[in-house]
Amino acid sequence: MFPILLSIFFPIAAGVFLLIRYRTPLSGEKRNTDRKALLLLTGCFLVITAAFAVAALLTGTGKDGFILFNLTKTLPVYFRIDSVGTLFSLLAVIVLPFAGFFSFEYMKHEERESRYYGFYLLAFGVLNGLCFAGNLITFYLFFELLTLSSMPLVMHSGSKEAVMAGLKYLFYSLCGAYAALFGIYFLYRNCDSLTFTAGGALRASAVAEHGGFLLVTAFVMLLGFGVKAGMFPMHAWLPTAHPVAPAPASAVLSSVIVKAGVLATIRVLGMFGTNFLRGTWVQTAWIILTLITVFMGSLLAYREPVLKKRLAYSTVSQLSYILFGLAVMNETSRTGALCHVLAHGFVKAALFLCAGAIIYKTGKTRVGEMRGIGKEMPLTLWCWTIASLGLIGIPPTGGFVSKWYLALGSLKSGLPVFDVLGPVILLLSALLTAGYLLPLTIYGFFPGADYDYGSLQKKEPCKLMIVPILILTILSVLIGLFPDIIASTIDMAITGR
Amino acid sequence: MGQNLFANYGEAVSAILFCIGFTNLLLQTNLIKKIIGLNIMDSAIYLFLAEKGYIAGRVAPIVVDNVTSTKAYINPIPSGLVLTGIVVSVSVTALMLSLTIRLYTRYHTLDLDEISTQLKREGK
Amino acid sequence: MNFICNFPFFSILLSLFSGTICSVLPAKAAKVVNRAVIIAVGLMSAVLLLYLLSTGEPFIYWMGHFPAPWGNEIRAGVLEAGMALFFCMIMYLSMAGGAHKLPGEVVESKHNLYYILVNLLLSSLLALVYTNDMFTAYVFVEINTISACGLIMIRQVGRTIEAAVRYMIMSLLGSGLLLFGLCIMYDLTGHLLMSNIKESVGLIMANGEYQIPLIVSVALMCIGLCIKSALFPFHAWLPDAYGYSTVSSAAILSSLVSKGYIFLLIKIIYRVIGFDIFNNTRIIDVLFVFGLMGMIFGSLSAIKEKDIRRMIAFSSVAQIGYIYMGFGMGTQAGMVASVFHILSHAATKSLLFVAAIGLTDVSGGSRKFIDLTGAAYRNKWAGVAFTAGSLSMVGVPLFSGFISKLLFAQAAVQVEGKMLASLIVLGISTVLNAIYFMKTVLRIYATTDEAAYTGITFRDMKAYAVTLVFFILLNVILGVSSQPVVNMIEQGLAMFA
Repeated sequence: MFPILLSIFFPIAAGVFLLIRYRTPLSGEKRNTDRKALLLLTGCFLVITAAFAVAALLTGTGKDGFILFNLTKTLPVYFRIDSVGTLFSLLAVIVLPFAGFFSFEYMKHEERESRYYGFYLLAFGVLNGLCFAGNLITFYLFFELLTLSSMPLVMHSGSKEAVMAGLKYLFYSLCGAYAALFGIYFLYRNCDSLTFTAGGALRASAVAEHGGFLLVTAFVMLLGFGVKAGMFPMHAWLPTAHPVAPAPASAVLSSVIVKAGVLATIRVLGMFGTNFLRGTWVQTAWIILTLITVFMGSLLAYREPVLKKRLAYSTVSQLSYILFGLAVMNETSRTGALCHVLAHGFVKAALFLCAGAIIYKTGKTRVGEMRGIGKEMPLTLWCWTIASLGLIGIPPTGGFVSKWYLALGSLKSGLPVFDVLGPVILLLSALLTAGYLLPLTIYGFFPGADYDYGSLQKKEPCKLMIVPILILTILSVLIGLFPDIIASTIDMAITGR
Repeated sequence: MGQNLFANYGEAVSAILFCIGFTNLLLQTNLIKKIIGLNIMDSAIYLFLAEKGYIAGRVAPIVVDNVTSTKAYINPIPSGLVLTGIVVSVSVTALMLSLTIRLYTRYHTLDLDEISTQLKREGK
Repeated sequence: MNFICNFPFFSILLSLFSGTICSVLPAKAAKVVNRAVIIAVGLMSAVLLLYLLSTGEPFIYWMGHFPAPWGNEIRAGVLEAGMALFFCMIMYLSMAGGAHKLPGEVVESKHNLYYILVNLLLSSLLALVYTNDMFTAYVFVEINTISACGLIMIRQVGRTIEAAVRYMIMSLLGSGLLLFGLCIMYDLTGHLLMSNIKESVGLIMANGEYQIPLIVSVALMCIGLCIKSALFPFHAWLPDAYGYSTVSSAAILSSLVSKGYIFLLIKIIYRVIGFDIFNNTRIIDVLFVFGLMGMIFGSLSAIKEKDIRRMIAFSSVAQIGYIYMGFGMGTQAGMVASVFHILSHAATKSLLFVAAIGLTDVSGGSRKFIDLTGAAYRNKWAGVAFTAGSLSMVGVPLFSGFISKLLFAQAAVQVEGKMLASLIVLGISTVLNAIYFMKTVLRIYATTDEAAYTGITFRDMKAYAVTLVFFILLNVILGVSSQPVVNMIEQGLAMFA
């Protein structure tokens, strides 16, 4: 019980502490010493939070669940750790501290650094709460808080563009969350409780009576939570909001926070039970939407010249891989989807951090300007290349494993049309992925004959930046090298708890 | 229906008066006319109460000649209500009139819409 | 009869007479008396509430010891005592929050007049809450109107006098209708005490004779009280009255005065007509439709508004719409939700008014949005408080607004015919709320380059800041541990029957 609560409330308290303690921007002569203290504090807080979360996962105290307090008579705020939650929590625990360390260097020249770290910690705590939530209403609570605590990260620079992007993010997320909330109300009426239970919580009588209505509810909830995961037609906020944030923040947004939408989808599926939804129009419509998103996201990324925007579109596309795997609704595809959660999480974090390092060091934002970048920052670009291979799905990286399972599951599913169409589109999109990620590698390492080698200078970023990138890249490969461990964990997530 | 109306003409009249007063209070733009409407509306209600409270052939409930049968007297409560109501409406009217004076000394008009346009022009 | 049973009578009388005493006291002493009376009444209500919770039975207090059909009665149940306690709390906080502004808003010589009005208002509110007699209710409705009008016009500028006149006119229309309905009701039943009327109403409905006049009288009373509590088509007077009066007045008017009328309507529904009879009339459908329209049009007007206080005032229109929507559902659950929303809205709206004044004060007294840019940095406490209030209004979990929306939605899904309409409008209105409140929050937290106005520190506004903290606490308490409150409301409504 206590590790869970600490992992949620410690970072929140720490974040609030930072916001209050450093409410005025650091300046003057003492700026450097003050900043050191701030970074030291933030670093400690991040590590301690991660430690609490890991302790919560390892001790297994949360398996039975506990009620913190009651919101209303029948709606408790309830925490329980199950294996899906464990998976997502692992991702958060690994990515957030590393991206945090990366920001120590990246945010060096920012004025309101402390505000960034404060909200960063808040978001960390809320994410932990989201992963450990044991019923739908608790989940919803943290889902809303996640939007609110991550919005300041998007708007950090305070420029008009950033503020508008933050607003767009807020409205899309809130609208989506409210759509989902109404689904929760209907569910509440037709379920015995909102606690996550294996195999669906719907009352049999309710299914018989309001079957059609419940399907609509399910669709609305999937769409509503899908907003966070950038699913078509509500994806527009993502390519606006992610690029304007500071690079480490966009890494966290893209690799972890949007996964909240995926986790939400899994929870919704869990509430309704896949047996209820399989073979209905909801499944068909959902698959169509995800496939459209997969293809459209890749295409838009392919056409996009700005590096971070390109990565954001790529996130749109890749998240729908996961959603597609969930929408197919069999075990193999689900394994693929969960595997891709990890794979995409590590890869996208690494890619955004690489992009951040490049922008930080050279100030270039467009892919076209980055010719010869591999000569200047070889290590960074190597990481970029390896991570890209992971996203494209070339063995032995993690992306390969997950896409393999996704395609296999789809083929086995026996759905009309989509059993073949699905893998075809996934494959096409993978080609496009190669098309939009690898040019940077190619032009970076092989700038061509007319490149001016004379002006070349070493620009490799400092250790604080390169080490997190390295670790995340290595992780993305490792999960591909040892797919058995991942797969067995995920199997556990699917079958038992 | 028509017969009912005729039999209860007192109530019918009071209802009509109430409507007249109500519309005046709502729609007139002149403040004094509004206040007159208010008084018509209130009086209509008192008329209604008095009409309901009076039973023909009975007298006010003051014991005279040791007649104690309730059949001889009317119920005193409606009359009491009318008195209370009059007190309330007098105080409300006084308040409205004082507000009207305030507005008139400031804006030199009794037209509420005119006052609103002047306020808008002031821009405060 | 226990001594505690005298408390309702004491509290009405105490506030009434202290008003009279205030007229001869100097302003300082009047202020002390006013505060002391509010605290004393609050304490008495608290004791009464505890007493009633322990006995579990409502009691009837004979004024002057005349028994039932002739005497005047006071009745106290859990809901009445709880309401009285809550009203006292809000009133105290509102007075405390606006105290520092009073010298600037009201001429020095009229300060004790101000306290007279507040005391008078309190006594009439208490009388509305406690009385068991319809005509007494009418008289105190008028006293309430007069004192509220006085509170509006005590700040002597053209706008407030005009607003007071408009407020007066609408209120008088309302009370005219109420009185007329009351007289018809008296004519039909021959009683003025609520409990006696209810018996006769039951007989009339059973007989079938005189049903139409009865329903007409109920409708007249309902419309009268709707006008007075500013339900949607009758809200024209509201923005000026709330927007230009003194801070405390605005907070008290929006959170208490209109709620007093609504509480009277609840009493009429339960204690005079009977819940089931009322729900079988078409009146609830009318209330429902106007409630829904109010929710949308109130928010739309608020979005268009460029003046922060008028915006908050328009938001009241929307919130009153919520309450009437709850009535319109015609179920116990809807009623509970409405009563909870009365509390939640009162706590939030007064917080917003009080916080807004802190923001406008540090923006050169201007209430235009454009001048409020960055105001939250200049007055941090008000900024935080305004944000908390906005989040509560929007319905973010952990604040009271979320619970009331949750209760409304739970009530809505139990009513077949009105479920969709209420849920959809609830959703739209929530999004609209989010638009204008988040817009304001972002505006006050936007950074400005020029330091046009000077800020204010905690040292200069201790009392004000502490008041805000209490307001926020009240909101969070209602949002986190709503269960005891909801239980109390349910118990109180059961006692009404």
